[in-house]
Amino acid sequence: MTQKEVLDELKAILVERLMFDPSRVAEVTSETRLPAGVEGSLGLDSLDFLELSITIEHRFGIVIDGETQDLTETFFSLDSLSRFVLGRMGVRDSGRETMTGIVVSGLGVVGPYGAGAKTFWAGLAAGACPIRPITLFDTDGFRSRIAAEVPADVVAGLGPSRRRSRADRLALAAAHEAVADAGLSPRDLARAALIVGAIGGGMLEGEDWYWEETRTGRPSPGIGALRSILPSTHAETLGHELRLGGPRETVVMACASGAASIALGADLIRDGVVPLVLAGGVDALTRICFMGFNALKLLDPEPCRPFDRTRRGMSIGEAAAFLVLEDAEHCQARGGRDYGKLRGAGITTDAHHITAPHSEGEGMIRAMTLALDAARVTAAEIQYVNAHGTGTQQNDRTEALALRRVFGDGGVLVSSIKSMVGHTMAAAGAIEAVATLLTLQHGMIPPTAHLTDPDPEIPFDCIAGVARPSQIELALSNSFGFGGQNATLVFQK
Amino acid sequence: MNEQRRVVITGMGTVNASGAGATDAVLSSLALRRSAIRAVRTFATDGCPSRLGAEVEESVLTTRLHPDVARRLSRVCQLTVVACRLAVEDSRIEGGPQLGVVVGTEYGDIRSTVDFVEGFIRYRHSGLSPMTFPNVLMSSMAGAAAIAIGAKAPSVTVNQATVAGDLAVARAAALVAGGRATAVVAGGVDELCEALYRRLAQMGALSPMRGMGVEGCHPFAPDHNGPVLGEGATFLVLEDLAYARARGATIRAEVLGAAWGNIPTAPHTARRSRADAHSPVLRLLDHSGIAPRALARCYGSGNGDPEVDDWERALLARDLPDDSCRPGLWPPVSLAPLFGQHAGLGALRVAAGALDVTQGTGPVLVHGIARGGCRTAILVGSPV
Repeated sequence: MTQKEVLDELKAILVERLMFDPSRVAEVTSETRLPAGVEGSLGLDSLDFLELSITIEHRFGIVIDGETQDLTETFFSLDSLSRFVLGRMGVRDSGRETMTGIVVSGLGVVGPYGAGAKTFWAGLAAGACPIRPITLFDTDGFRSRIAAEVPADVVAGLGPSRRRSRADRLALAAAHEAVADAGLSPRDLARAALIVGAIGGGMLEGEDWYWEETRTGRPSPGIGALRSILPSTHAETLGHELRLGGPRETVVMACASGAASIALGADLIRDGVVPLVLAGGVDALTRICFMGFNALKLLDPEPCRPFDRTRRGMSIGEAAAFLVLEDAEHCQARGGRDYGKLRGAGITTDAHHITAPHSEGEGMIRAMTLALDAARVTAAEIQYVNAHGTGTQQNDRTEALALRRVFGDGGVLVSSIKSMVGHTMAAAGAIEAVATLLTLQHGMIPPTAHLTDPDPEIPFDCIAGVARPSQIELALSNSFGFGGQNATLVFQK
Repeated sequence: MNEQRRVVITGMGTVNASGAGATDAVLSSLALRRSAIRAVRTFATDGCPSRLGAEVEESVLTTRLHPDVARRLSRVCQLTVVACRLAVEDSRIEGGPQLGVVVGTEYGDIRSTVDFVEGFIRYRHSGLSPMTFPNVLMSSMAGAAAIAIGAKAPSVTVNQATVAGDLAVARAAALVAGGRATAVVAGGVDELCEALYRRLAQMGALSPMRGMGVEGCHPFAPDHNGPVLGEGATFLVLEDLAYARARGATIRAEVLGAAWGNIPTAPHTARRSRADAHSPVLRLLDHSGIAPRALARCYGSGNGDPEVDDWERALLARDLPDDSCRPGLWPPVSLAPLFGQHAGLGALRVAAGALDVTQGTGPVLVHGIARGGCRTAILVGSPV
C-alpha cells in the first residue's frame, strides 16, 4: 500500500465516519493540520481523534497502543498520520508520495529576442543573432563592446521600474509567464517552492549609485539601490509578488546557477517536500561583468563563434528564464501542460582551479554520467546536446573532450545557443533548459550561429548556421561555471 | 520519493571573533559566553553612526595559511578555506566525489567587488585586475573551499540575508539525506569590511537603528535597536550515518530534519503580523514525530533588529504555544551578542545545538527568519 492510498483512505474516513462535507475534504492535502486550535486545521477534537483511531485500527488492521492513543499530541497532519499507519503496517520507507516523475508544466523567458517563450523560440529557430553594441553603459576603450541586451522597448514594457532593479523586472516577467503558462492557481502557488539562480543581483543600479558618488565626491541619494544589489533580492521579489509559500533559495553557482537551480528544485519534488517548484535564473548586464570578462580577455570583439576554429571568446548577454517543475501525478491530476520530463540531473565540482576547467573535463564527464544514471538512460539514447558552448578556446575544447568521452566521436548532435543570445550568466542554464525542451517539442534543433570553419578537435555535428528538423526523444543540457561547477540536465519529450 | 538517509554531524571548524579551531574551540567559545563585540579596529569609524563590530584577528588566518596559498585568496575566501579545513580535519573525512560543499553568505566578497571597481575608477582599463575579478562572484568561496578540501560533489552557494548559514546547513542535510552526496561541508561566512560597514550604517541597518538608544546587540530585549556586524566562518561536516559508522567517525549529533520556507513579504521588510501558512517548524516536528514538549532548547536568529526579533517571537509563539512546550524555552537563545551578525552564525547555532545534545539534553530546534520572509528550521538530536 502506498502513502497516497493511505491518504485517500483517511480522507474517506473523514467523510464517512467524521461527517465532513466531501467538498471540504476535497481541499485537504497531506499538509492539512488536524487538531483544533490550529489556524486552518480541520479542527479535530479528542472525540474526533478517538473515532478516527478506532476506524483506522479496523480499516488497516493495526493496533494503536496506549502511548499513541492520544493522537492530538502525536499527529499534526494527515501526512504524519499516514506515515504512522504505514509504519504500523510494516511498509518500509513510509515516506511521502512516490514520485512517478517530474514534468515541466510552464515556461517563461525574457531575453535578447524580447519577452515570451514563443518569441524566444522563433528567434532560435530562425538562427537570428541579437548580439549588438552595448547601449546600457559606456564601453569606450574595451576590446569587446558588444552584448545581447534585452531590447529597450521590451524592458520599458515590463511595468513600473521604480524601486525595482532591471534584473528583478526581467525575473518577474519571466516568472509570471511561466506561472500563467502552467495555469497555476493561488492555492498551487501557496505551496510552491522557488529556486533562483543568480549572480549579479541588482548590481547595475548599485553601480549607477557608486559611479555617481565617486564622480561627485558626495553621498548620493540613491543609496537605496544598494538594498537590491544582492542576488537574494530576486527571490524575495518573486516570492512576494507571486505569493509563493514553499521553500525559497537563491543559488549562486557561477554560470551553472540556472541549471543548478533546476536540479536542486527537482530534488525538492523527488524528496517529497513539495509537488511544485518554480526554478530558473536571471542576470542583467552589469559593468562589472563586462569589465571582468574583458580583463580576462575572454570576450570576442565580434559575435561569438562556438566550436569554430577561429573562435576568440564569448559574447555576454542578459535574460531571465523560469520553468515550472511539477510532480507528474500532480500535474496530470490538475490537467496541467507537459512540455517534457526532467529525467535526471547531475551536479559536480572539479576542485581544480578557480577559473579554468579541469583539462580533461573530469568534472564535466561526471556531471553528464551522473545525470544519465539518474535518468536511467544510456549515452547512446541521447540524440542532442545543448552545449555550454561559450566560444572560448578552453571551454569548447574541454567540453568537446568530455563529450567524446561520454558519447564517442560524433555520437550525438550538438549546438550552442550562446552563439545567438550570448552567455546570459546565471540565466544561461535555465534559458538553455527552455531551449532544449522546445527543441523536443518542435522537432527542430537550434543552430550554432557564425560557425563556418568547424574546429577539427571538436568532432561533432554542431548544426552550423541553420536550424535542423529532427525528431528528438532525449536531450541533454550542459552548464559549467567558474570554480569548476558543472550541472547537467536530461530531458525527455 | 527517494529513500531518505539519516544525517549526522561528524566535524566542526570555526574562525570567528572569539577564536578558531575545531569542535573543542566551538565548545569553548560558546561556553565562555563572552562577547567578542568591541569597537572596530581595522578601519576608522569616524563620521559613522555605528562603531562596534566583532572582528577576526588577522593572526588567526596568517598562522593557518601558507603565504603562497593566501596570496591567491581574498580574505573572505581565506576565512572559508581555514574553517572548512578545520572541519574536515576534525571529521577525518577525505576529499573526493562523495564530498560536497554548501556555503551560505549574505554579502559574499564585497571587498573584492569594491577593489575591482575602484581599480577601474582610478586607473581606467589598466586598473582592472584579472586576479580580483573571479572573487567578485559569490561562489568564489565555495570554489576555493572545494579545491582546498578536494570536494568534488556539488559545491553550492546560497545567498540569503540573516539565515544564510542555517539555509546552507539545511540544503546540505537534504543533499545527504537524498543520497546526492555522502558528506557535505556546510556553513556560512561573511567578512566585515569598511565599504560594507559604512553603507549599512548609513542606511540605518545597524545598531543604533534610527539613532535610537545606545549602540549594542540586544536580541529580544526591550532595548534592542539593531544588529552589530560580525565576521567569520563556521562549517560543519554533515554525513550519511551509515558511512560515518563504517569509517569509525566520531558522531557528534544527528540532524533529525531540516526544512525551510517563505512567508510572502515585501523585500527587505519584516512584519510581525504576517503568519506562516506552511511553517517549517511544524512540518519538521510533524515529519520527525517529535512533540513540542520534547524540545530542550531553541536557538533563534534574532540579532537585535527589532522588527525581525518581534516577528520571530510571534511566529514561534503561534507554532509552539507556551502550554505545549517545556517552561523556559522562550525566548530563543541568540548567539549574535557573542559573535556579531554574520552568515557563520547559522552554523554556529547548529553547532551549539549539537553540543547541547552531547550533554544529554533532548532535541534542539534551530530557528531562523529573515527580512523578506525566508524561514528555516533545523532539528538536532542524539543519534540512536
